[in-house]
Amino acid sequence: MDLTLPLTLSLIVFAVGLFYRLAAWFGQGLPPVDSSLTVGRRLLAALRTIPATLFSSRLLRALRSLLVDALLQKRILDQGISRWLAHTLIVVGFLCLLLFHALDGQITESLFPDYQSTLNPYLFLRNLFGVLVLAGIGLAVVRRIRLRTRRLRSNSSDWAALAFLAAIILSGMVLEGSRIRSYSVYQEMVEEYAAFANDEDELALEAFWVAENGLSSANFPQLPAADQVTRGQEVNEGTCTECHVSNRYAFASMALAGVATPARAILGDSGAVNFFWYLHILLCFAFLAWLPFAKMFHVIAAPLNLLIRGAGGENPSLEPANLLNRQMIGLSACTHCGACSVACSSSMFFASFQNEFILPSEKVQYLQKFAAGKEKDPAVWKRMQQGLYVCTSCDRCTTICPSGINLREIFVNSRYQLLADGPPESALLSHFSFPLALAQVRIGDHLQALKKVTELFRQRFQRLADLSGPIQLDGAESTGIANHSYLGCYSCARCSNICPVVRSYEHPVEALGMLPHQIIFSLGIGKTELAMGAKMLWSCSTCYLCQENCPNQVELCDIFYTLKNSALIEAGAQT
Amino acid sequence: MNYALFLGCNIPIRIPQYATALTAVFRKFAIELVEEADFNCCGYPARNIDEQAYLLPSVRNLAIAERSGRDIVAVCNCCFASLRKAAQVMAERPEQLRACNTVLAGEGLHYSGKATIRHYLSLLYEEVGAEQIRKALTMVYDDLQIALLYGCHLLRPRRLTGFDDAFVPKIGDELVQLTGATSLDWGGRLECCGAALAGINDPLANTLLSEKISMARAAGAHYITPICAYCYLQLDTAQQKLPASPDHAANAFLPVLLYPQLLGLCLGIDTESLGIAQNSTINADDLEALRQRLIVPVQKPARKAKMADKTDKTNKIKKARETAASA
Repeated sequence: MDLTLPLTLSLIVFAVGLFYRLAAWFGQGLPPVDSSLTVGRRLLAALRTIPATLFSSRLLRALRSLLVDALLQKRILDQGISRWLAHTLIVVGFLCLLLFHALDGQITESLFPDYQSTLNPYLFLRNLFGVLVLAGIGLAVVRRIRLRTRRLRSNSSDWAALAFLAAIILSGMVLEGSRIRSYSVYQEMVEEYAAFANDEDELALEAFWVAENGLSSANFPQLPAADQVTRGQEVNEGTCTECHVSNRYAFASMALAGVATPARAILGDSGAVNFFWYLHILLCFAFLAWLPFAKMFHVIAAPLNLLIRGAGGENPSLEPANLLNRQMIGLSACTHCGACSVACSSSMFFASFQNEFILPSEKVQYLQKFAAGKEKDPAVWKRMQQGLYVCTSCDRCTTICPSGINLREIFVNSRYQLLADGPPESALLSHFSFPLALAQVRIGDHLQALKKVTELFRQRFQRLADLSGPIQLDGAESTGIANHSYLGCYSCARCSNICPVVRSYEHPVEALGMLPHQIIFSLGIGKTELAMGAKMLWSCSTCYLCQENCPNQVELCDIFYTLKNSALIEAGAQT
Repeated sequence: MNYALFLGCNIPIRIPQYATALTAVFRKFAIELVEEADFNCCGYPARNIDEQAYLLPSVRNLAIAERSGRDIVAVCNCCFASLRKAAQVMAERPEQLRACNTVLAGEGLHYSGKATIRHYLSLLYEEVGAEQIRKALTMVYDDLQIALLYGCHLLRPRRLTGFDDAFVPKIGDELVQLTGATSLDWGGRLECCGAALAGINDPLANTLLSEKISMARAAGAHYITPICAYCYLQLDTAQQKLPASPDHAANAFLPVLLYPQLLGLCLGIDTESLGIAQNSTINADDLEALRQRLIVPVQKPARKAKMADKTDKTNKIKKARETAASA
């Protein structure tokens, strides 16, 4: 059978996929992308780093990262032995099968001149490596199910990758199993290699193979007699063992040989062998073709990302072209392993806000689309914006990522871009803003985004200063505030006098809209909305001095929090 | 003894030296602070947005502490208050506790109200105690003026935090004075660093921060010692980005020292383990000057204590005699 056509086809698809990935690496970016950074300039910038790294001390660090993080996978080991074991079993088993089994004509034969696929250790190792991969897949499946409760998200691509790998290995094992059973395969071997003194020897050898090597023969519907097997063993030793060890060493395939029985019944003896052969080969080619398009691309992108990281690519003062390149390579290196989401400090906010995008692993998946300019749905946009903002900047995701993706940088960048074009984001008015203010990145963008939210308040609430004429009291309004301590206020203004915010302004009423005692007073007269619109609420330093010094135990600071929560809903910033 | 150390989100990534210094100090007193990898954010950042979103994360933390059977020791004041708040609300509102537990059940966690939350200052003051600390001192400071910044959420609201006397706290000052340093009585000691406004109203946050720095300087502070992680970040990081003021020259910062660093040096822990060089407002000269101020402790305080002990005994005997006589 000529494999040229399917192999060529899968290689073409692989090449197209790779081109598509490279185009993303050097052509896409998390906006705003500087239009002067053309693909050509970005490619050049990337290429320039190669000699710059090769002839510097960074080379050693890059190599170390490649060895320790990519090859030995220390970053995975840091997350626990079972995860490392799962991944290592798959990698080692699959790589060995690829190099020594799939490429045996090219690699194994040149390394070991006496190589025969039917001899040991090759026969045994092939089975062993297959079993290693399957064991790794088993562990990975268990992890994905077990950590589901810890917010590990598994999408179809994750399961597809595991299923694909398992199918390749299992189809190979069943193929070998069907060959073990096959009488026609046996006959071919006999014709090619054996010479018998008489017919009895020929039948005895067959009896031995039926009894010992899993052969299925119409001549022996029952297990052959012991003396015939013993005689067959002698013939076997004289004729076969030089090139073929016992099939018992192919332990996995022997065990799975029975699986091929239905196919043998339908397709016949050699038909079944052919079927499984095609199945195995085509699965391998399909996998090769699929590799650049889904998470399996990490086998290329993750080591590269780790290499870049090791070579000092984490440097924030990188030239803009390489900054973009690095971010795009980083995004493509995500394996959706979910380690970041399991460790995420904001995981409980995810539970409260019911927004998948609060989980870092889901953000990264989405951002690949975002960088490609594919996402336009405003509802998704809004959720993503919240997902990016409801983040404590604890950097656990960046620290833990086995692919070494600089998630922090990617998230910070995309956060402000979405904020610039998206709807007002209520989370800006929270302490999630603190680490951003501290880092002082994109200050102008932050202020712009902040303006959008405060504008909502200006539109929604009437300010005290705008009121003309006396406030109408209808007495029917309920404040909706569960904390009734405000009823104890007798307007002594102790709160406003002790407030460090009030004293920070020369004209506090002008700057803050209302002073603390006025806010409490307006609640007292049932004017909650007036209180909600006071700028004072968002200028409250939450120091609790007012509350602690109130002679009548009005819990001002706690009430302010409630008012802030409700004001966000009222103004339509928070749903 | 061991405790579940609650570091929150700022310390591990932005102030790792706080954790290492604190762990080293407590180890001197045979107290193990165990980092619980499963802890998540305390919820504080979401407080402005939604109350339930604010409380749930801490309920999960409480459930984790309950599972491990350890008391929580918080470092950051805002984490401390959030954990206490969650515990308080859960104790008062069973239906809210049930709702939280429903969410937690998804990952096999449950909070039944048994967790205890303490601040590390209380632990040091109450569990280790001044006497034991004094005994462990190998060096003390001579002529060192410290402006201690308690931070708001450790003290207030007092019914929630239950820490010391919210109006006239002494625990922090006594702990500072144990090292031989002077704990200054300065205007900003119990006030706000401005962190809660950073990113929301930056000019105001900066005003509050520079006010603290000027007040500490005016009081003659050699160092400012914040307790809360937010205060620390304001002072150590945000201070450097403050708009220039006539008050002080550019690049001349009021150096920031954490309490376990201050105490750690007196306990003979090396500067490296205390991570002092990682405080970005401290330069090599400051560190050298700090070392220069360290002297071998004079035995006087110990003798004084003994004398006090004696007087105490004499008083007791006197009292007993009086009681006997009156009877």
